[in-house]
Amino acid sequence: MLEAFNFRVILEYMPLYLQCFLATLWLSALSLIGAILVGIIACAMRLSQSKAISRTAGVYIESIRSTPLLVQLYFFYFGLPSLGVMLPEWVTGVFALTLNSGAYYAEIIRAGIQGIAFGQIEAGIASGLNYFQRMRYIILPQALGMTIRPMLGQAIVLVKDSSLLSLISIMELTRAGQLLTSDRFMPTEGFLTTAAFYLILYYLLKTFSSWSEKRLIFMEAH
Amino acid sequence: MWSFYFNELMRSLPFFLKGLWMTVAVAGLSLIAATIIGFILGIVRASKNKILRSIIGAWVDLIRGTPFLVQVFIVFFILPSAGIELEAFPAAVIALSNMGASFICEIVASGILAVPQGQREAATASGLSSFQQLRFIVLPQAMRSIIPPLVGQYVLIIKDSSVVSAIGVVDVTRVGWLTVQRIPEGLMVFGLVGILYFAICYPLINLSNYMERRMTVTATRL
Amino acid sequence: MISFKNVNKWFGELHVLKDINLEVTHGEVVVVCGPSGSGKSTLIRCINRLEPIQKGELVIDNMNVHDKKINMTKIRAEIGFIFQSFNLYPHMTALENVTIAPIRVRKIPKEEAKKLGREILTRVGLGERIKSYPAQLSGGQQQRVAIARGLCMRPKIMLFDEPTSALDPEMINEVLDVMRDLAKGGMTMMVVTHEMGFAREVANRVVFMDDGKIIEVAPPKDFFINPQTDRGKFFLSSILKH
Repeated sequence: MLEAFNFRVILEYMPLYLQCFLATLWLSALSLIGAILVGIIACAMRLSQSKAISRTAGVYIESIRSTPLLVQLYFFYFGLPSLGVMLPEWVTGVFALTLNSGAYYAEIIRAGIQGIAFGQIEAGIASGLNYFQRMRYIILPQALGMTIRPMLGQAIVLVKDSSLLSLISIMELTRAGQLLTSDRFMPTEGFLTTAAFYLILYYLLKTFSSWSEKRLIFMEAH
Repeated sequence: MWSFYFNELMRSLPFFLKGLWMTVAVAGLSLIAATIIGFILGIVRASKNKILRSIIGAWVDLIRGTPFLVQVFIVFFILPSAGIELEAFPAAVIALSNMGASFICEIVASGILAVPQGQREAATASGLSSFQQLRFIVLPQAMRSIIPPLVGQYVLIIKDSSVVSAIGVVDVTRVGWLTVQRIPEGLMVFGLVGILYFAICYPLINLSNYMERRMTVTATRL
Repeated sequence: MISFKNVNKWFGELHVLKDINLEVTHGEVVVVCGPSGSGKSTLIRCINRLEPIQKGELVIDNMNVHDKKINMTKIRAEIGFIFQSFNLYPHMTALENVTIAPIRVRKIPKEEAKKLGREILTRVGLGERIKSYPAQLSGGQQQRVAIARGLCMRPKIMLFDEPTSALDPEMINEVLDVMRDLAKGGMTMMVVTHEMGFAREVANRVVFMDDGKIIEVAPPKDFFINPQTDRGKFFLSSILKH
């Protein structure tokens, strides 16, 4: 198999791959930002005193976590048109990824906040800080330190999840591999190149994760 | 119109149940294979053998660094050119088992390494062999920290099984995809698919959380 | 019975045991003491090869412990080791803790092992608690189970690595009592401890270590009343202040 590995074809398709690599980056980055925002909002809702608000967020989070991303993607891709909402595929894709990762971010942020030693909060209350001040000065900074690793972990998952967008005809890394397979009958070259690009992204994100953890040295060993 | 589609959908229910059965079959077989392989590899990964540990570590990294969809395509399209002809179902099980095994391997290795060193020393000091140590002292204690994330991993395997619909396996996701071609009510069709996955995954997630809680206590007041 | 000949050990660059020469005879009780970091725990951990040595010879009963070809299982079966942190198996009852090695290593039939286990647990004062789990026992009780666990293998030698250092003061005596009985019964023992009262009463010899070397070896009467070296004097004065 490897003797026949056709590097020439890969070079030929390299412009396409680079374009698709950028597409994957772009789609992932957009979804990531959206997901973090959604996650913060959903987490705030989940921790609210109002049972109605908390439950609504709960239903959202549990539905996302108990169903596959592909089903969610198809749900919006096939479902939105029947409501009369016609969107370009990439918007639907980003929307689904955002909603999906948003639920996981909500849980990550919640775990970060609840993981802070209760004694800290008591100290804050005792010094007279109100809810918002406690959040801003005591809770959120420490929550950031504790969640940076799981948040980057979810970012890696999101980049991999973006591969499913190829199934709704979006031009990204996995689709490039599919093209090499259908056009030239070279799945080996096609998908191994695709895999190589994903691995590059993976190692970049992992390195960033280690680097940022080292910077946040006030983090207790967990 | 809507009620017409709804009736059509209800009439297709047997088709959905067949798809559900296929999902259970693919996920179930993969679960079992992944557990067996994952445990064996995990035990080796937790051992003192540096070479084997690195090899397994490299393989785990490869699996974690690439999207599952790409892995499925690689197994389905590339293995045949290495001489192994595969139909969609076996390819799906192989890809899913392989991925599951890599994650389970890490869960098992962490659990084993979490058992305090003193336990191993006491066992060594009494003359117990490495195998006896693993069987009677280390593994029983490791199971406590292995089982909750293991169940969580099972849920992930069930959800990821939806991806194999991309190579034509007629699981419940594929049934939805085929159905939506004739019944263009995406919300209804994939709503149903979602509910079916939910019915399986939600109880399992709760089981995993319940088991996790039995081992830790957290403070939650803000 | 235990013979150290020019034993040297390094942890990486750190030279932790320097030219150790020591003979322990059958039935002797030797107490090893010294400041933190003196190498006393490392010394006894080398005896059953929980730690390897890089130079020298450690011989037990004519068997060279650090010979690569030797069957450590046989040697370890003859040596009971008591840890500072007990290291009882939390998922097993007291009876199961003490019988697992006799059953799996000495291959004694289960019923016989359980009978032996009950006997020895009773001997250390825990006859009523054989079905208890470590989490249900106090520190002193756990350490006594650990001693019973060692004894059930019918060892020739018992090694103790600071057995009472992790215990609350009121529980130290129950463990020392068991150790005193053992010594009176003629067991060969090496004990790393700060309990000088125990050493004075029971030890045949005290080995004082500092900075990886054996500084003084003497009967307790001589060492405690008239230490020969400056370091020995300094050590005694600092611990007897309490």
